[in-house]
Amino acid sequence: MGLTATLQGFAEKCNQHERLRVMNRDWTRNVRVLAEDVGEDYWIRSVAGELSAGEGELSEDADMEIRADQRVLEAVFSGEMTPTEPYNQGDLMVRGNQDDLFRLDVITLMIWGE
Amino acid sequence: MAGRGLTKVLPLRTAVSTSAGLASAAVNFLAVVDVAVDVGGRSAWLAIMVAGVLILMAASNFSELNGLFPSAASIRVWARRGLNDQVSLVASLVYATTVVFVIAADGFVLGHVFHAAVGGVPGILWVVLILAGTAAINLRGIKIAGAVQDSNAFFLLGTLVLISLIAIWRGPQLDIGPLFHFGSNWFEGVALGVFIFVGFEWVSPLAEEFHDARAIPRGMYIALGLIAIAFGLFALALTDIVPHPSQLATSLIPQLIVGRTALGALGFWWMALITLTTAMTTFNGGLVTASRFVYALARERSLPSAWARLNARLVPSSALMGLATVALGLCVLVYVTGEYEVLINAGAGVESLMYALTSVLVFSLRRREPNRKRPFHAFWYPVVPGFVALIFLGLAVGALTTTPVGTGNTPWALVFVAGLTVAATIYVVFGLPKKRRQEVLARSAKTVSADPP
Repeated sequence: MGLTATLQGFAEKCNQHERLRVMNRDWTRNVRVLAEDVGEDYWIRSVAGELSAGEGELSEDADMEIRADQRVLEAVFSGEMTPTEPYNQGDLMVRGNQDDLFRLDVITLMIWGE
Repeated sequence: MAGRGLTKVLPLRTAVSTSAGLASAAVNFLAVVDVAVDVGGRSAWLAIMVAGVLILMAASNFSELNGLFPSAASIRVWARRGLNDQVSLVASLVYATTVVFVIAADGFVLGHVFHAAVGGVPGILWVVLILAGTAAINLRGIKIAGAVQDSNAFFLLGTLVLISLIAIWRGPQLDIGPLFHFGSNWFEGVALGVFIFVGFEWVSPLAEEFHDARAIPRGMYIALGLIAIAFGLFALALTDIVPHPSQLATSLIPQLIVGRTALGALGFWWMALITLTTAMTTFNGGLVTASRFVYALARERSLPSAWARLNARLVPSSALMGLATVALGLCVLVYVTGEYEVLINAGAGVESLMYALTSVLVFSLRRREPNRKRPFHAFWYPVVPGFVALIFLGLAVGALTTTPVGTGNTPWALVFVAGLTVAATIYVVFGLPKKRRQEVLARSAKTVSADPP
């Protein structure tokens, strides 16, 4: 499964999660996801908690930027590993507001658990 | 056209205020007195400036590492990439606890200052109130905590400059000669002066919140310059008012004396307020950064998962309250025993060891990851990083083996830090693998029971 499909699967899981939809109803953000090893751009967009994802560059400025190798991004967004593991190893770099970073971490926690 | 920028990034001002705020602890006022005692009076300002240059060299290591891996996990990531996972984890755990030491030592000074100002209220009550208030502010979210940090640091440094200038102007005629007098313990004074700046690097975990990778180095350098000016002027004022600083060696309120000389009762209360804001920036900044650090370690399953809990405002509340409770316990212990210098020495020792470690990491990462982009390079590699390693290793040994007056010959700071390091090592080498094995088994059992027959 490619990264686009993984990100879209992640967005779908979020949208199906009732508690997450309530929690994220005030969260409207653009997230740039960059697969550094292949130099490909992806995006995740949250509009009042409704998530969508796709391939290509964002048409507006990002609120948050996530960079890693493609396999790490696939593992994180498919629930194979928590974002914190590659993050604390320096394999996943994030730029943006800490609140948004925590929010994304909580989302993965609520979808896939510990 | 496609968007490439980032919204909601922090301004350079926040890098400066966070760095300056964390370094500007209430114990710094006592450190200035100690520097003045060692250098023999008026040249204390010069010792502080020289100490500032040494710290600037250490800051250049942090700048390079921050540019390489701009991560909230800072030392955890750098040491893991530069050395190995276990050393990184032990260093991270010990480093995180230094925040608690500094909070406890600052609480001690805050309590005594307010007891001197408002005699009827026990000092420890002030400490409990301020620490609880700061924890409550932090639980409301990082925005409020950040705003408190921003305003406090600039108010503190601005006031220190203003009051010191007035005190110098109103004090006895300044004689230029003694300003450059080198006493017999001048270098010990410089070593002590270094500790006025420690904590400046705790701004590193905010690295990813700045769009420009150079914001953290710039913020740290500006903050170090502001601290050097503010505390250098304070040292000038203090040694102008009290030419024989040994008279103040046992005083816990030198800042109140400078304030009273400058502006009478107004200055006295103003400096009492400044002590309060100093302690608040230490409490606040310490809790903000350390709680997120503990959260990150808990999320990677290196610490109990209970500490990875976030409240509705996305604040790591369990880690925050755990740290605040430990800090309060240590505050009470220090207040009862009066042994705050042990904690200061322990904190200074650990910080110095970390500065030496950053040099090792600069060397190691240049070898291991030579092609990785470095937005900032450490000054005059390999000379300055090598010098920083030696100087700060020496300072660490000095701080940890110092025995404060009246504590006998046992270097309690060394005992304390060694005990902590041994405990962290045992946990990382033996406890953590066991914990992780049990978690894997629990997950497998859960998967098996969830499978249909």
